[in-house]
Amino acid sequence: MSTQVISVGEYLELVNQTLKYIPSATLQVEGEVSDYRVAQGKWVSFDLKDETTEAVLKCFMTTWQLKTPLEDGMRVQVKGYPKVYERFGTFKMNVQDVELVGEGALRRAYELLKKKLETEGLFDISRKRSLTRFPQRIGLITSRDAAAYGDFIRILNNRWGGVHLLFAHVHVQGKEAVGEIVEAFSFFNKLSSEQRPDVLVLTRGGGGLEDLHAFNDEDVARAIYASVIPVVCAVGHERDESLADFVADVRASTPSNAAERVVPSRQDVLYEIETLTRHMESRLSDVIQDYSYVIERATQLIGFILEQQKQRLLRATEGILFATQQWFMRMKTKREAYERILRQVDPKRVLSRGYSLVFSHGTVVKEATQLEVGGEITVQFASSLAEARVLRINGKGQQKLV
Amino acid sequence: MSVKKKPIHFTTAFEELEQITKWFDSEQQLDLDMGLKKFEQGLELADALKKKLVEVENKVEEIKTKFVT
Repeated sequence: MSTQVISVGEYLELVNQTLKYIPSATLQVEGEVSDYRVAQGKWVSFDLKDETTEAVLKCFMTTWQLKTPLEDGMRVQVKGYPKVYERFGTFKMNVQDVELVGEGALRRAYELLKKKLETEGLFDISRKRSLTRFPQRIGLITSRDAAAYGDFIRILNNRWGGVHLLFAHVHVQGKEAVGEIVEAFSFFNKLSSEQRPDVLVLTRGGGGLEDLHAFNDEDVARAIYASVIPVVCAVGHERDESLADFVADVRASTPSNAAERVVPSRQDVLYEIETLTRHMESRLSDVIQDYSYVIERATQLIGFILEQQKQRLLRATEGILFATQQWFMRMKTKREAYERILRQVDPKRVLSRGYSLVFSHGTVVKEATQLEVGGEITVQFASSLAEARVLRINGKGQQKLV
Repeated sequence: MSVKKKPIHFTTAFEELEQITKWFDSEQQLDLDMGLKKFEQGLELADALKKKLVEVENKVEEIKTKFVT
């Protein structure tokens, strides 16, 4: 067999060609991670160690290929292609996929991702949005086969009506879960503003870390973070937690609780409406009472004034009446007195007693000296007259015939 | 599809009722005519809301789009 001289590059190319005969697609290499490093935020390198045989496999990959956080001491299974890097002459596995092995590694990876997202601010309380009180449209992301689906709809129907529920059926575990959930979020967020739900609900029943992997996935967490629609997340039972819970605007403890957080109960709202109505009614009746009090006061006042006037009039009338009566009485007494006096001085009364009146030339004669001898006089008696002639005045005049 | 025909928008009507109730609390000396008008309006809203609460059912629509990765 003749030997052949080839260059280093040609030799390594031959080695790499030969390495391709290894059935890489069907192999998963399991070991413990050590000397894990990330260079320039892009290049990931670590050693995969075998505890029993002290064997070491150098691994290389990019950060965007690595879907899970890694740390020294984690047990993993890697899938990839072996390669000798010409420039450094080193043998490495070009890793395509890393899978965590065992609850311990999963738990650790979960903690690491949680820390990372928390530092980035995905869990910040300040960015949590509040939900509309009476949603018209609700987007539900879950599996139609999950108990969570039935629970959510049952409680929703019990509590509230008039909601248009847009249901996106996705796998909530398994390989397809992450991609489908991320797609569902993107679907709802791309809807026009009239079509877009008021709130999104991502839910599933409880389970172990492995079952919940989709809800602890970084892509799902970022999809929730990026959603312009507020998100309610409800995973499993009270004690279960997931990264999706922490990113969501509202974290509900169970699928049923999610329904309770999303819509109000008819009873509560009915009670509130009645309270509002009662309050309105009582305020209005207060107002009416105020006005009627004013009217009553005014009426009272007017009545009082009228009564006063009436009393004055009554008093005045009585006064006049009394005064008139007094005056009338006085007049009557006076008249009677005058009558008496008049009666006493009535000349006819004197004449009837035998006195008579003497007139001369129409006037009463009070003195005899007023007369002339021989003059005519008229003598008036009580009921008759006599004409006479004066013979003598105080003994002087015609001689008395004896 | 009966979703489009909604005689009242629940949120709007409820907020209106709250506004009216607030009005009754706002001023010291309320105008009686205005008060009566508002009260009547409030009662109508409360009535409509109550009716809506009992009669309306939820509607579930499954998205046809396939969510494939």
